[in-house]
Amino acid sequence: MKALEITGLSKIYKTKKAGVVNALSDLNLVISSGEVFGFLGPNGAGKSTTIKAIMGLIKPSKGDALIAGVPASDPHSRLNIGYLPENPSFYDFLTGREYLYFIGTSFHMADNLLKSRTNEVLDKMELSLAADRPIRGYSKGMVQRLGLAQALLHDPEIYILDEPMSGLDPLGRALVKNLIKELKAHGKTIFFSTHITADVEAVCDRVGIIVNGELRAVDKVESILEKGITGYNIHVRTGGDISLFSGFDFTERDSGILEFYTSRALFKQFMEIVVHANCEVDLVEPVRKNIESFFLELVEKR
Amino acid sequence: MFTNLYQLNLKWIIRDRVLQALVGVALLLLVLVPAFSVLSMRQVQELSITLSLSFISFVLALLAILLGASSVWRDIEKRYTSAVLTLPYSRGSYLLGKFFAIAVCLVCSAAIFTLVAAVAISFSSGLYQSSLPIRWLHIFTAVAFDVLKYVLLVAIAILFSSISTSFFLPIFGTISLLLAGNASQEVFEYLTKDSVGVKTAKPLLYAAKGIYYLIPNLGAFNFKVSAIYPVALSSQGVIYTLLYFLVYTTIILYLAVYFFSRREFP
Ligand SMILES: Nc1ncnc2c1ncn2[C@@H]1O[C@H](COP(=O)(O)OP(=O)(O)O)[C@@H](O)[C@H]1O
Ligand SMILES: [Mg+2]
Repeated sequence: MKALEITGLSKIYKTKKAGVVNALSDLNLVISSGEVFGFLGPNGAGKSTTIKAIMGLIKPSKGDALIAGVPASDPHSRLNIGYLPENPSFYDFLTGREYLYFIGTSFHMADNLLKSRTNEVLDKMELSLAADRPIRGYSKGMVQRLGLAQALLHDPEIYILDEPMSGLDPLGRALVKNLIKELKAHGKTIFFSTHITADVEAVCDRVGIIVNGELRAVDKVESILEKGITGYNIHVRTGGDISLFSGFDFTERDSGILEFYTSRALFKQFMEIVVHANCEVDLVEPVRKNIESFFLELVEKR
Repeated sequence: MFTNLYQLNLKWIIRDRVLQALVGVALLLLVLVPAFSVLSMRQVQELSITLSLSFISFVLALLAILLGASSVWRDIEKRYTSAVLTLPYSRGSYLLGKFFAIAVCLVCSAAIFTLVAAVAISFSSGLYQSSLPIRWLHIFTAVAFDVLKYVLLVAIAILFSSISTSFFLPIFGTISLLLAGNASQEVFEYLTKDSVGVKTAKPLLYAAKGIYYLIPNLGAFNFKVSAIYPVALSSQGVIYTLLYFLVYTTIILYLAVYFFSRREFP
């Protein structure tokens, strides 16, 4: 099942001040059901533009987006989506609970269910104490958490979150990461944008990297990490004879442990020596470039 | 579905400080009507009716312009649109929810004002006996058509809001049309009078006619004269105005939804 299908999506903004801005060029992307997809890119890359086109806020200059098979231009396509806008802002004359009531009824939720779900999501987002205060008095982080609460309320299958961790303190960020993992465990699809590589590494199955409106790479997070392995740190307990290991760098630790580094290419050769010398291996640790360096390379490449 | 948006907007209106202040001012003015009316010495009852109707009309106009012009603009300005237009509503329901909430608010305010005005008028007329009876039905009709006039104005304000990003076009566009719409009938009649019509250049006359049919004929909604003086209420006038209101408002709302549906909210 395809949760999201984006075909040839392009957006050109025409403004008096900035002139013509190519915000997004020919984006093709398929997100399957149950997947956590990180949309990673620097500021101004076109992440929000993509999400706004999916949510029907802007019309693509070219191409289209399907949400569970329904065109984004049809309001019904949004029935099964929980959406968190970038830097959200909600009717501030309502209380948090009243706002959630409005959202729940907008998604046709029955009254009983709506009441219990409201308490559930308020609790989950740690807003129970503020629930009956007007949103006008909420801090930025509280509004962000209310944004997540309203996206969760109707228990949709697909989540589209524009920078869900922004504006949150470290506790809040951890909360969101756990939330995403929990949703994934329940088989939900999550498409979220971010400019922070660590967030992608922590929770995503797949990542798409967008720079200047162009999708530069799409891959499994696992395989990026695997491809990024440059070598290994190996801790070996030798019987004393280290002549066999000539040619390999090492530092000697106390208690007779030698700490080697081998490049990826020489790893096999090294392990053969280990077997041959009948040594004991304490630790094998891959040394790798993280998503961040992968990301930085892609951004810098023209 | 649509009732959610309608209720949401009613909540906004009721909790709006400006609105609360306006209603307060209106009620204060109406309470003071007897005091103003005795100043006229003889025509206390006539003056009390005139004043009451004018106060009501004035405050309804302010309400219509402020609420009509600010409702969409405020949502855009405060970026509520990104949250509410991404719910499974059509753009049309969003606009109509606003329109009906404001319309209902005008009707309810007018009903309260009329009630207070009725007390004020009765009290005033008791102060100095008039030779004329108070014709309540005519007074209520006058208020009712005033309400319709301002509901139409709300539709116009929403049409302006649906194409504009700023506050200026909705506010000043609506005020301009209110002024022009009230005067259009007289200007048109003057220009097409035989003695003037001959002298007026033909193209100008056509332009004037075009504008006359385009801008709302708000003068037609004025039934105040028969509420104050012993003038008969024309049932034909009532029916035509009602039809005019329905057709004109529908067209305006249709256009508003058409433009708003094509709009982008980046
Ligand atoms: N309304 C707009 N008018 C003109 N240019 C815009 C508008 N919105 C966004 N842009 C431009 O489009 C590009 C992509 O923006 P955006 O999608 O918001 O980036 P991101 O969310 O990845 O930070 C940027 O260069 C931005 O300046
Ligand atoms: Mg963005």
